[in-house]
Amino acid sequence: MNKAIRSTVLFALVLSFAAIGVAQRTSGDVLIRNATVMTASSGTKTNTDVLISNGKIARIGKNLKAGNAKEIDATGKYVIPGIIDAHSHAMLDAVNEFTYAVTSMARIRDVLDPTDVTIYRALAGGVTAANLMHGSANPIGGQNTVVKFRYGRSADEMVFEKAPPGIKFAMGENVKRARNIPGVPRRYPASRMGTLEVMRDAFVRAKDYKKSWDNYRAGKTRVPPKKSEELDPIVEILEGKRLVHAHGYRSDEHLNLMRLADEFGFKISTLQHGLEAYKIAPEIKKYGAGVSIFVDFWGYKMEAYDTIPYNAYILWKNGVVVSINSDSGERIRRLNLDAAKTMKYGGVPEQEALKMITLNAAIQLGVDKYTGSIDVGKDADIGIWSGHPFSVYSHAEMTLVDGEVFFDRSKDIAMRKELEEERKRLEAMEPNLPPAKRGKKKKPEAKSEEKAKTPKREAGGVQ
Amino acid sequence: MKKHLLQFIAAVMAFAFLALPASAQKGTYAITNAEVVTVSGSVISNGTVVVRDGLIEAVGSSVSIPADAKVIDAKGHKVYPGFFDTNTKLGLPSASPPTRNASGSRSGSISNYPPSLRAESDVLEKFEGTEAKFSSHRNAGFTTVVVGNSTGIFNGNSVVLNLAGENVSEMVVKAPFAHNIAFKTERGGVYPASLMGTFSAMRQMFHDAKRLDEIRKMYASNPKGIKRPEADATLDALIPVVRGEIPVVIFADTEREIIRALNITKEFNLKTIIAGARESGSLAEKLKAHNISVLLSVDFPMRKLAENKEADPEPLRTLRLRVEAPKAAAALKNAGVPFAFQSGGMKNIKDFVKNAAVATENGLSKEDAIGAMTISAAKILGVDAQLGSIEKGKIANLVVASGDILDKDSSITHVFVDGKLFEQPKKKKKPAKADGDGEAKEINAGGVWNVTVEPPGMSIPMTFNLTQSGDTITGTISSNMLGSATIRNGEVTEDGFAFDVTVTFQGTDLDLNVTGIINGDEVEGTVDTAQGPATFSGKRDPKN
Amino acid sequence: MKQIIKSKIGSILTLAFAVVCVAGTVFAQNGPADQNKTGVGGTFAITNANIYTVSGEMIKGGTVVISGGKITAVGARVSIPRGAVRVNGSGLNVYPGMIDAGTNMGLLEIGNGVAGTVDAGETGNINPNAKAILGINPHTSHINVTRVNGITTVQSMPSGSLVAGQSAIIDLNGATQSAMAVERQFALVVNFPQISTFAGFTPGVGPRFIDFKQAVKRRDNRLKDLKKVFEAAKRYGKVRQANAKDNSLPAPETDLKMGAMVPYVNGEKPIVFIAQRARDIHGVLKFAEEMKVKAIINGGMEAWKVADDLKKASVPVIYNRIHNNPSNEDDPYDLNFEGPAKLAKAGVLFSISTGNNGASVRELPYQAGLASAFGLSKEDALKSVTLYPARILGIDDRVGSIEVGKVANIVVADGDMLEAMTNIKHMWIGGRKIPLTSRHTEFFEAFKDRKLAQ
Repeated sequence: MNKAIRSTVLFALVLSFAAIGVAQRTSGDVLIRNATVMTASSGTKTNTDVLISNGKIARIGKNLKAGNAKEIDATGKYVIPGIIDAHSHAMLDAVNEFTYAVTSMARIRDVLDPTDVTIYRALAGGVTAANLMHGSANPIGGQNTVVKFRYGRSADEMVFEKAPPGIKFAMGENVKRARNIPGVPRRYPASRMGTLEVMRDAFVRAKDYKKSWDNYRAGKTRVPPKKSEELDPIVEILEGKRLVHAHGYRSDEHLNLMRLADEFGFKISTLQHGLEAYKIAPEIKKYGAGVSIFVDFWGYKMEAYDTIPYNAYILWKNGVVVSINSDSGERIRRLNLDAAKTMKYGGVPEQEALKMITLNAAIQLGVDKYTGSIDVGKDADIGIWSGHPFSVYSHAEMTLVDGEVFFDRSKDIAMRKELEEERKRLEAMEPNLPPAKRGKKKKPEAKSEEKAKTPKREAGGVQ
Repeated sequence: MKKHLLQFIAAVMAFAFLALPASAQKGTYAITNAEVVTVSGSVISNGTVVVRDGLIEAVGSSVSIPADAKVIDAKGHKVYPGFFDTNTKLGLPSASPPTRNASGSRSGSISNYPPSLRAESDVLEKFEGTEAKFSSHRNAGFTTVVVGNSTGIFNGNSVVLNLAGENVSEMVVKAPFAHNIAFKTERGGVYPASLMGTFSAMRQMFHDAKRLDEIRKMYASNPKGIKRPEADATLDALIPVVRGEIPVVIFADTEREIIRALNITKEFNLKTIIAGARESGSLAEKLKAHNISVLLSVDFPMRKLAENKEADPEPLRTLRLRVEAPKAAAALKNAGVPFAFQSGGMKNIKDFVKNAAVATENGLSKEDAIGAMTISAAKILGVDAQLGSIEKGKIANLVVASGDILDKDSSITHVFVDGKLFEQPKKKKKPAKADGDGEAKEINAGGVWNVTVEPPGMSIPMTFNLTQSGDTITGTISSNMLGSATIRNGEVTEDGFAFDVTVTFQGTDLDLNVTGIINGDEVEGTVDTAQGPATFSGKRDPKN
Repeated sequence: MKQIIKSKIGSILTLAFAVVCVAGTVFAQNGPADQNKTGVGGTFAITNANIYTVSGEMIKGGTVVISGGKITAVGARVSIPRGAVRVNGSGLNVYPGMIDAGTNMGLLEIGNGVAGTVDAGETGNINPNAKAILGINPHTSHINVTRVNGITTVQSMPSGSLVAGQSAIIDLNGATQSAMAVERQFALVVNFPQISTFAGFTPGVGPRFIDFKQAVKRRDNRLKDLKKVFEAAKRYGKVRQANAKDNSLPAPETDLKMGAMVPYVNGEKPIVFIAQRARDIHGVLKFAEEMKVKAIINGGMEAWKVADDLKKASVPVIYNRIHNNPSNEDDPYDLNFEGPAKLAKAGVLFSISTGNNGASVRELPYQAGLASAFGLSKEDALKSVTLYPARILGIDDRVGSIEVGKVANIVVADGDMLEAMTNIKHMWIGGRKIPLTSRHTEFFEAFKDRKLAQ
């Protein structure tokens, strides 16, 4: 009960598929038959079958034997890897802990809302996984969580456990603007200068902190140091155990951050937004960071004024791993079209464009061993599209996560009537009646086993 | 080893209680010819319960009536153990508008934490009132309540009280009972201002409390070479929590809140009881596996809005929740999760037993419903040796009802608390529209309201000076930041007031739609602007 | 482009340049100082192309002749005037320029944090005399960025207050406001008061709602204000007219606001009402009928629910909700994608609009395409961003299709114009061949070949 509406759809899906063995938890085999398969790793294969077994891609080829697998006829349709959104704030009950300049102790994992309908709408746009991040109010923000969109399950069951931990950094306008409240002293930092100093200070503190623990563990001190929820993740960054996703717009910010990272001996994993990254593409390539961008969303604030839709192309041409993110519960539904635009703006090749919403995002999140392309052995995170996924005229028909169908357009349409009927049924029940009508009617349906015992409550309440 | 402060208080309280002479009003009573629902044993169909000096002296079908007893002939009536409301704020000052306090330090207090994290907060220090103040609870059959706060994150201790006595010492049954935790945030732009920060702050403080405990032990055994551990009342209060010596009551209603509670429980090995637990039904098995008890709110959600064809349909999840909520009790029972009922802050305490009956229409047996108000509650609170059933030697908390208490036609005739008889008020003749729910309230919106408006991260004091005339409201608003302005379209609503006003903020005109919900002299509501809504709360100025 | 240059000069240098032109998007003399280049006029012939006339059949291998700013010939076999610059349209598609009938183009450059660039709305509640045409910056970077995606004409509207002001229809070319103007004062823009039960969030509890009746009452209060203004403007118009006929009658004291409203409240010119929900659109229809004004709905999220009434009242819809999530979580995920298909089926005159303030108006073709992925025919999708908005704006005698005599707002693309992968290869606005450059191509050129310093 109590899940968002679509969980009912899923529940029905699970039920209806259970009989034929598809949506059993990652156990049933599925054969997607005769599709145009865009692998994102090894080109496009026409008239090709994909066999899914135990939630993994088991075979890719022509005329595969179905065995016990449930067959999905994909003739005339396209199969692509599930889209991965490398920057999202979907399914969160909180996004920013803006109070401090460093909030590395904040964990996105604590505030997941698995009932957020955004998840379902994203599935309907072919998205199977997302990097859920803390907002950009702080130079060092909270810890992110990578999830798979197993909608209808609990938050714990959506977490992509194999994804390495990460953290959000941020620079620029949002950081400066945070807590700019009339009549209240502004929070430090209020400039790009201060932003970097806050970071520097945090890393100095983290190094001292680590040293105090090293001393304690070596028996040099008797009293255990204070355990710091704030500094532990920063120590993990220094130890290379935590990926840094650094929000920034201006090219100088990226360069300064990379320099700071070099100074302290850690690595920036992904430049988030990187709207001006094209200006310094060779430097980014040399440094080895990925960039996660919008394709053509721009001009909404000063630091977004210099971006260009050719950003993806220039970065790609320089050999930088580029992903395209949504950062939005709306845009997440049409990342396929954002990828298509990179072919227009500059001329990114088709497979490279596809990688920007699949494999490259997986690389940036450290999960490319498991997902991001249609390859044997990977998780069966797959979208089946009515036509070429880059065409405006196409829509996602089915979205599978670990081989389970979490979105099926035909089932979705079929369920609409049932949901309306459920609504009517529920609206007629006592607790859902408007106050004026409550207590007047006989209860519409008492449970049969309770009926004999409970003939009495209908007269309660207002006369 | 050192007794914890709260335990010390509890010990003093308990001592004080035992040392008190029995109240003069506590007489000797014999309730006769009654159907005695002992709860602990079988129902005695024609029994007698003898009450003396606050305790149950005898119970049974062939009990001799003491000569000095005042006899209450309860023929055709039922006698129940007094009912428990396992979560209330009785006697606590109502939440005042939050004060901005960046450092959070109170003078004279050994703590550096902001208000929402004051684990050392002692509910008995704040409790005010005597038995006379709690008659509506008692008249509805509630003789024992848990009092505790849940407005902050670490809310300090909660206590178990009997609703009889002239001072708190006489009322305490158990103090402390538990530590109250709620997933709230700090206000006024102070950390933790987000739910993420809430969990981070809790984690840090649990770690700090553990460490302090450890260092204190080290220091006590040999202080040489160790820096003196700092005095920290807040962390001290958390030590019994992280040691698992005192239960924590975590307020969690939705599935995801309950799962968050389970996760933090596991992470710090807490002794957790979930309170509220509206969506606990679907998690019953999980709760059982984690060995969690539940204080289930019977404030079941009901539709409050009138019908209108053009209005947006209510979300299906809301519709489902309202139908499912009363089924949670049965689900918990079936899974073997210990649970007790609580009022959950319901407006009319009379709905408590009514809604317990609703739970029985949704799969719970009547016995279990009574249990959830009596012995099951006593067990979770750890007071089942002295309360929760009608047994010889237990505290004489009793409810006499004209019939089955879960039957809507029954009424309560007598309530005993600590052996003290409270007669029920004579039933007034019902006016045309009586009885709590759905009744149109008389709204008094006039006066000077001092409120605090809270856009995200801000806190703006403001004054509404309102004059009510029939259903119309006129007046002005004023604030240091926004100046003053005359309201428009002012009207009295079903539960408060609404008006529009235009203020000037940094040279720009801002249209505000203000909606307030009045509760006595308190108001809370929303200021809606084109930039988004902000909430406000405040009080009526008593001087005006 | 190649053709132009060849015909003009022919030196080796220019040839080399031409190759760059074809390969990329650069145009010779672009620079940031020269943001709104107004293109080159003359006589042009696009030959051997697929011509999507929109008003009629698609012409395969056809020719379009542009001269004097107008389309002078269209067809499979037309004679090309002497001296016409030939553009080889082989393998290319020719379309009328797209029209976005609901933007704030030119009224703000950067909406967030750069207040100095924002001229989108006035303070106060009643601003009928605020005219978008006087606030539009002809040299905003948005104009070039937008037009190089095939959009040639937009309606730009003031925003914010109850009566927000008067919109303008502009072509996306011209060095001055006047040069851009198609209609200087097209419509009065009214943010129609909404019925909203939302009463804000209680932290930790969730959204709160007021009773629907109360919400209606609140709306009615604001509607009363609006009616008063309309009635006052009508009276003002009457008095003024009476005085004009007979100057012995008293002349009204000049009131700029009332004066500005007269043609709109008298039903001579249209009023754009911003409204999304069915109940609010109903409100507009009732109000427009009562006030006898000519209404256009802008927004129109739930217009499909009111389709019959809209059709009956001949009120068109500028639909701008393609890129909006459905408003209720229980709504089908594709509810807003399907809006245009439903309007088309019901026979309501509608157009698809981005509703954007400028920077993202270039998304217009993809929004129309997306509507087509959810039930709208491809033909209607194309019309919903060309001929239909032209009709709604009353400029279909001039633009919106490829017909002889119409203004030469023409786009040549290397594929389906609504597809995101398609490139615009040539375009004309008012018969002037527009350089396909923008702030974005300029940055691209500046940085695409940048290398690390050695």
